[in-house]
Amino acid sequence: MTKFQDFERLHVPGDPLVLFNVWDAGSAQAVARGGAKAIATGSASVAKANGFGDGQELPMEFALANARRIAKAVDLPVTVDFEGAYSDDPDEGARNFALLAETGVVGCNFEDQVVGSEGLHPIEMQADRIAAARRAVGPDFFINVRTDLFLKAPQETHDDAMLDEAIERVLAYAEAGASGYFVPMLGDLEKLRRLCAESPIPVNFMTYPECPSNAEVASTGVARISHGPFPHLALMAQFEAAARAAIG
Amino acid sequence: MPSNQADRFQTFAALHVPGDPVILYNIWDVGSALAVVKAGARALATGSHPVGDASGFGDAHQVPLDYVFANAGRIVAAVDPLPLSVDFEGAYSTDPEEGGRNVANLKQSGAVGCNFEDQIVGGDGIHPLELQARRIEAIRRAVGADFFINARTDLFLKAADHGDALIDEVIDRGKAFADAGASGFFVPRLADPRQIERVVQEVPLPLNVIAFPGAPPKSEWAAAGVARISHGPFPHRALMVQLEEAARAAIS
Repeated sequence: MTKFQDFERLHVPGDPLVLFNVWDAGSAQAVARGGAKAIATGSASVAKANGFGDGQELPMEFALANARRIAKAVDLPVTVDFEGAYSDDPDEGARNFALLAETGVVGCNFEDQVVGSEGLHPIEMQADRIAAARRAVGPDFFINVRTDLFLKAPQETHDDAMLDEAIERVLAYAEAGASGYFVPMLGDLEKLRRLCAESPIPVNFMTYPECPSNAEVASTGVARISHGPFPHLALMAQFEAAARAAIG
Repeated sequence: MPSNQADRFQTFAALHVPGDPVILYNIWDVGSALAVVKAGARALATGSHPVGDASGFGDAHQVPLDYVFANAGRIVAAVDPLPLSVDFEGAYSTDPEEGGRNVANLKQSGAVGCNFEDQIVGGDGIHPLELQARRIEAIRRAVGADFFINARTDLFLKAADHGDALIDEVIDRGKAFADAGASGFFVPRLADPRQIERVVQEVPLPLNVIAFPGAPPKSEWAAAGVARISHGPFPHRALMVQLEEAARAAIS
């Protein structure tokens, strides 16, 4: 079985794959020793670790080289948080997807927010971008398409109309060739349940402070739980405390 | 506006006070550097092993020079105006002139100093004293006066018997390194306060030792005259164990 097939099969609705996000080869190896079945980078963590802002300020060449080093450092499938593929243009984005696939990783996150600007790409435009990416990488690459609908809006405004749009988007994204659907900051279990029921592709939940437990999230039918920027943030707080103790 | 590199060098050199050592908690990237800055550090120092492990290249000159320089430049920009020293292993060449050029390029990144070791990187043992002195001289010529060359001897790392005969050899090296233009003397694994006192008395350079798990309290080293205490690979290793544990808890 290839690493891609391994990775794809780990997405089981109700028994989610848990990804503890990393930022470099060393953190990937630590998480692998912790028993991970797959490795995922977080774009904000990679950017912060290296002194860049999030939102594609990390040069793509760095992102690709980092991906290559991580893929070489661990024997597990690796997925990269690739933001908006460094281009709004479907064809250029697709070329960037192909470069990423060449690094040895088996998948990536791909956002529908307009990176560096406001709002989301229109559904049709995002579907075109996904279709172009799929043509560029072929079938053996896990395109985890992320909608930023919920991330962009305060949680108390997450209503049924927003969920309807999220469902409309996933139907179009799946049709265009997406492998998975990532909905950061959707934390309402009932809404998650409805989304999982209607999504033709595995749904990815991101943990955040005070969010529902993994067991509760799993019960809604989620197939992947990731941790976004939080592992790096927590670890750097621990590092600061250790340094303070050493410096005295 | 970024601070002036020569000013940062002066700041860094002045932090080396025998008896009141500067504490360097070694880092590997911008994120770890910023955490140490928040903790109150007065200067930053990379560890070559952490940089090698974090990036996946490995230690012993496996991290490409371009990466070392770019990483140093990013850290310098992020922690300005605090000074940065880079653990530069054997300057990526046994040839004195080439080593000098490499350290001059490192200085271009904005770092104000580096560690420079006498072990044969990728081989066995340590360089003969005369060769090592020539390498230090060449580096000093290449970088000028305002760069902190922290000359490291690996005698203690390489030897099993840490008796007084070895201390004599360490002192010979320290004196020769000082004559060759070193700014500081770094003896990893040296830990016994009585031996430290002898080195401090006889070598005319600020002494740097590495804190390790189980080492004597820093106050004892300070009382013996140490001017700089660094932490080598241990901070990164400990943190990666914490990450492993956090991952295990999250996954299970």
